[in-house]
Amino acid sequence: MSPDSPPLIQMRGITKRFGGVTALEDVDLELNAGEVLAIVGDNGAGKSTLIKILTGVLRPTTGTIELNGQPLTMNSHSDAIEHGIDAVYQTLALADHLTPAANMFLGSELTRKFLGLEVLDNRRMREEAERTLQERLGVTLRSMDVSTDSLSGGQRQAIAIARAVYHSDLKVLVMDEPTAALGPRETARTLKLIEAVREQGLGVIVISHSLDDVFAISDRIQIMRRGRRADMVNTRDSDTTSVLGIMVGASAEQSSADGASAHE
Amino acid sequence: MSEQTAELAKGLSRREKLDRYLSLLGPMVMIAALLIFMALLEPARYFRVSNFDIILKDAALYMPMAMAMTLVITTRGIDLSIGSVAALTAIIMGYMVKSYGFPWWAGVSIAISLGALCGLINGLIITRLRVPDLIGTVAMDLVYRGLALVLAKGVVLSRFPEEIVAIGRGAIPGFLPIPVVIGLSTLVLGFFIYTRTRLGRYAIAIGSNPEAAELTGVPVNRYKVYVYVLMGAMAGLAGVMLAGKLNAIQATSAPFFNLHVIAAVVVGGTSLFGGRGSIVGSLAGVLLLAMMLNALVTLRIEFFWQSVASGVVIISSVAFYTWMQQKDRDGQGGFMEALASPENRRLGKFLLILAMIIGSLFLLGYMFAGDTTAVR
Repeated sequence: MSPDSPPLIQMRGITKRFGGVTALEDVDLELNAGEVLAIVGDNGAGKSTLIKILTGVLRPTTGTIELNGQPLTMNSHSDAIEHGIDAVYQTLALADHLTPAANMFLGSELTRKFLGLEVLDNRRMREEAERTLQERLGVTLRSMDVSTDSLSGGQRQAIAIARAVYHSDLKVLVMDEPTAALGPRETARTLKLIEAVREQGLGVIVISHSLDDVFAISDRIQIMRRGRRADMVNTRDSDTTSVLGIMVGASAEQSSADGASAHE
Repeated sequence: MSEQTAELAKGLSRREKLDRYLSLLGPMVMIAALLIFMALLEPARYFRVSNFDIILKDAALYMPMAMAMTLVITTRGIDLSIGSVAALTAIIMGYMVKSYGFPWWAGVSIAISLGALCGLINGLIITRLRVPDLIGTVAMDLVYRGLALVLAKGVVLSRFPEEIVAIGRGAIPGFLPIPVVIGLSTLVLGFFIYTRTRLGRYAIAIGSNPEAAELTGVPVNRYKVYVYVLMGAMAGLAGVMLAGKLNAIQATSAPFFNLHVIAAVVVGGTSLFGGRGSIVGSLAGVLLLAMMLNALVTLRIEFFWQSVASGVVIISSVAFYTWMQQKDRDGQGGFMEALASPENRRLGKFLLILAMIIGSLFLLGYMFAGDTTAVR
């Protein structure tokens, strides 16, 4: 990425107040295409609020968001999806009794005309789902006809991601605690899925409590503390200990000038 | 998804294949058991063409409601007001046709539309006023039944136009009875809704995971209302069919519709916990229930045992499917072993003590019993 071209996402001076409580204070965030940005921080550090603003669920009190250098105003989550920003929730939001394809197209079903009526095009949804899983995420299910609850944690994750990336103009994928409920093998599979998404040139934001996963997958790490950006590090140049230190505020001298140390 | 039985793929385990057919297998096994039972006890009177004609017509009455109830229960909902909706709409139809001279088709259409309106009211009470479905529809059951009583008082409306009677008990010569054709058509429509439309897809999603449905942009409340509207319309249709079948209707008609229909649907493999339903299973359930109720009549068992039988069917099939759905049954040991757990022993003791108290109360009452003529 040349230094002149604007980043995919540029959030500047984001502040969010809920009544008298300040959840976010003057937070910046940059995300480039084809990179994985991890956001880490203690509980209540403002990670969730920040991504809720990015995905249109919340509106910032002050601050601006730019997408490819263009200012962006979003009033709802569907606005965000329209602009190519989508999220995969920790709960994955899957209906266990439906097939993978039905889940992938839930809320935006493909239809065809039958005797003048609009009916579900189950076959096409199934083919599209299978193709998306295979070509974009490298996942093949043993059958597309099973109910989703019979799949493994990683496969379920894949369906939730496939639902987001199916929209061809998806540019930013936000993943909230993707590995929180997974065992080691499923975690490895999920990290692979994230890599596959990055390789397609999307910007990925991962929120995680697991620093191991963060160091395994991310290019940069944004560390949040008490509603501020405490620091931003290149994953390659950092290690778990120093990130942990910035997270809990133990090594204030390491953090950047605009970070959380300012008011201490 | 049990509706996709036709699309069995290779990659499925035997257990999953079995699960798909369970909703059909369960009632089929019970139908077979019932047939064997009746073959031993009352073969002459049960196995007659005329008797199966009666069974089919009884079953037909429940088919439209079972179809809609499958969708309602799939969304984790329930509608306990359908008997009263059927009675109320049929009475209004009766008055329109008999007292005001409306043509039969207008009366029938009015009944179905009013049923839909009742369903709409139920749906709005559940989604807008946030009254839980169980309480909301039981309360509306009282309302609709009360309105029916207010309208009809104790009057029995009878002798309907022949078209309405035909809907209830007519026959297409050389083919099936008209009510059976109507009932089966609604089930075909239901199968289409369940597998090919947004309504069916969203019903499953809502019942399976309401939060996920909401998050993915499914208009949850609107589709819940649609399902109750369909339920009400089908209850209205059932009211018409009942009025035609009996050629009479009164405010207290159809007292056990809700119980029978729910029994038929859950025995057909639709889960009361939502997300899993089967229209084909509901057809099998309706047939089973009609055969069972008919068997009770054939065996000359009092009419009032019918509600006992329906209740037992509901409890046993829900318990059976719940047990089948348990992912891990391996570690439980045998049935007797499970029964002898410390927790159950305590409950057993409690049951024993309660039985002893009741027994001694009866004994005491008997010992001090006086002359019954004085009370009268």
